[in-house]
Amino acid sequence: MRCFLWGILLTSLLATVSCTKKGGSTGEKVLQLGTPAKVKGFDPIEASDLYSGNEVARVYEGLLQFHYLKRPYELVPNLAAEMPKVSNEGLTYTFKLKKGVLFHDNQCFPGTKGREMVAKDVEYSLKRLADPKLQSKGWWLLDGKIKGLNEWREKYSDAEKVNYEEEIPGMQVLDTYVIQFTLVKPFPQFLYAFAMPFTYVVPREAVEFYGDSFLNNPVGTGPFMTGQYTQANTIIYKKFHKYRDEYYPSEGAEGDEAAGLLKSAGKKIPFVDKIKVTIMPESQPMWLNFLKGNIDAMAIPKDNFNQAMVGGVLNEDFKKKGITEVKKVGLDVTFIAFNHENKLFKNNLKLRAAMSLAFDREFMNKNFYNGISIPAQSIIPPNIAGYIDGYVGPFQNFDLEKAKKLLAEAGYPEGKKLPEITYHFKYDTTGRQNAEAIKQMMGNIGINLKLIGVTWPELVKVVNTKQAMMYGMAWGADYPDAENFLQLLYSPNAAPGSNGSNYNDPEFDKKYEEAVVLPDGPERTKKYEELYKYAAEKVPLIYGFHRVNYVLEHGWFRNYKFIEFDHGVAKYWDIDLEAKDKLKPNL
Amino acid sequence: MKKESLWGEALKKIVKDKISLFSLIVVLVYTIIAILVSLGVIVGDWHQTVGPNYAPPSSDFIFGTDFLGRDVFKKVIYGVQVAMSVGFISSMISIPIGVVLGATAGYFGGVVDEIIVWFYTTFSSIPTIMLLISISFILEKGITSVYIALGLTTWVHLCRLVRGEVIKHKNRDYVQAVTAIGGGHARKLFRHIIPNVFHVVIINASLQFQVAIKSEVILSYLGLGVQEQPSWGKMINDAKQELTSGYWWQLAFATLAMFLIVLAFNILGDALRDALDPKLKGKES
Repeated sequence: MRCFLWGILLTSLLATVSCTKKGGSTGEKVLQLGTPAKVKGFDPIEASDLYSGNEVARVYEGLLQFHYLKRPYELVPNLAAEMPKVSNEGLTYTFKLKKGVLFHDNQCFPGTKGREMVAKDVEYSLKRLADPKLQSKGWWLLDGKIKGLNEWREKYSDAEKVNYEEEIPGMQVLDTYVIQFTLVKPFPQFLYAFAMPFTYVVPREAVEFYGDSFLNNPVGTGPFMTGQYTQANTIIYKKFHKYRDEYYPSEGAEGDEAAGLLKSAGKKIPFVDKIKVTIMPESQPMWLNFLKGNIDAMAIPKDNFNQAMVGGVLNEDFKKKGITEVKKVGLDVTFIAFNHENKLFKNNLKLRAAMSLAFDREFMNKNFYNGISIPAQSIIPPNIAGYIDGYVGPFQNFDLEKAKKLLAEAGYPEGKKLPEITYHFKYDTTGRQNAEAIKQMMGNIGINLKLIGVTWPELVKVVNTKQAMMYGMAWGADYPDAENFLQLLYSPNAAPGSNGSNYNDPEFDKKYEEAVVLPDGPERTKKYEELYKYAAEKVPLIYGFHRVNYVLEHGWFRNYKFIEFDHGVAKYWDIDLEAKDKLKPNL
Repeated sequence: MKKESLWGEALKKIVKDKISLFSLIVVLVYTIIAILVSLGVIVGDWHQTVGPNYAPPSSDFIFGTDFLGRDVFKKVIYGVQVAMSVGFISSMISIPIGVVLGATAGYFGGVVDEIIVWFYTTFSSIPTIMLLISISFILEKGITSVYIALGLTTWVHLCRLVRGEVIKHKNRDYVQAVTAIGGGHARKLFRHIIPNVFHVVIINASLQFQVAIKSEVILSYLGLGVQEQPSWGKMINDAKQELTSGYWWQLAFATLAMFLIVLAFNILGDALRDALDPKLKGKES
């Protein structure tokens, strides 16, 4: 108790000192971050939202991670010593773990010394994810994939106690550092599960020692550790001094060298001594804190875009203060869908192509995406294998004359004889303006759209019940694999599945089925690229945009690169104290 | 002595007062615009792009242009038609309901009165905006459902007033005289009582008109109103996001257009009451 009080006194003293010094550094590198949502605690299997996942990933780690710099996104080992060996026709995955990985020192271990992480811990952590009593929201990751795991879950769903000792056929600990998974059927996307917080490794001692309060007492292997987590509005992390030898990547994507992202190449991580995460649910306070230098980096809130960027260039005033911008290319695609079960659009490539050609992406980009988004040529977004940089689809770029010609060839010169076409969209100001613009563009070739603005649940309902004729929507990646986008056009996924346009093309289905069972590699990429082109040529949808925003960072923030799957990347970030002393007083 | 009719006298009074006269002119101008737009004589081409998007007000585009480069002036003018038609048609729906129910309740009294009073009291306890939203949800979205929704929700006030007036009148001498010479209920009510309480309806209609206009703007702002045509509510909704970028003109001109007509109807309503209500007669001048 006494110790605890001293702790409080000390921290408050420190706070006062840093306040009075005003901008001066204490020689300690502190990363200042903001997060817009309350964190649900530090249990990996509870990390179902992005923000909880971010916090969990500072303390815990998974077997794999995404390469911080390389694009397209690439999985690399984290707790695993190397990428797993895949054998038995894609059914068996053998992971070898790194040696000498230590858990944080904690009173749950004998002598409060953190022990070494071993294969048993991986097995235990995955069993926790499958535990029927714990009801994790991340179960879908493993559901129906690992041999015997579903049966184990089923067996104990009504039992009083779940038996963790029972062996699962598809999850074998071969020796201290080797674990082998056997799948029910090939599933190349299986590996992505090991880069997601749900599967991060926890020590059994901590779970049993803390019981219900394990949520607030994280004990991981990660580069940072927390003190007692109090669920207040600030979370403080300290560097884990016994963190194993890990190094900043020495290879990056094109342009990383010029952007200074390889200056820390080969240096031991993590770089900062402390991370201070402040929870700020509203974007305005966070923005003001960023402007005052109390937050090191943040994405530009929508309403402040024009304040920060003038004509696509960072405001001069911001530049003078040392603020720079980093482009954030999201893994998503917006689109206008045709319902292919409607006989007007089914097998009517010319009509669909005419409408796609009449859609002026440049105008839309300028007016709805601040002129910075990427006009989509097909369904796969940039930075995923399968996307072809520089590819221009035959019907994707605005061409009014060609559109009119194709419409006439389709049998509807100047839109005559066309039935009324309805367009459903989610009603809000931007949604309506968007729809009005689309109506205008289609009007240019003589097609009259009837706009129907509805709420989000209504829109989902009309799409799922195949009632919508045309509608506007977007899709964001669950993991960086083109499969996640191509499945939007796969006919067995028709509504109420994710193929809401009910596109049914046996040739596409065949190509898709061939591609998705292949392991990651050049052969699969080639197949994906073929599908990418095919999905552009057949115009199953009118593709809109891959959306882009900017993250602003202060002049003292180092090594920041946008990464869609950003769990655990704070270990690469650095603070330049000298630059901070110079820049912060002038904010 | 030459005696002017009630209406002639009222008109004279309104014309004498400058502010009332101005209001009357505003209402007439709006009405003429609305009729011209309905006939397709003017601004039928409102949806066409006429210049760059977000051009500020200038000699080329006096009210500026919107996000698609459409002329804001034309949209405001088209909005006049939407607003006036909503006011007119919804009044045409609500007035008969209010008058018939009010007059019946007041004239017959007893159980009939109790049922009608119970009905409108219950009805009016439902928040109007909620009722409007739910009616617009049930009917297919569009201007027709706005007419119906507003028509069905705005009759309560008028119903109450008419009921009160009819109760006052039904035992007057002239009504008893009609009874004495053998006039039936219908004759008494429609031939004699209602014309004598009709000033209440006129005054109320002018006030209801502006309530309907405001409600249409609110509904369209929320996306439940007109879908295909421009409306002041949609323009104000656009402005919600445009203002951060400094595009003020859609908000300004839509609000101005609405402000003028609502103000005019309010003043006109007051002037009509002063001119027509026999209770206020002789108080002035």
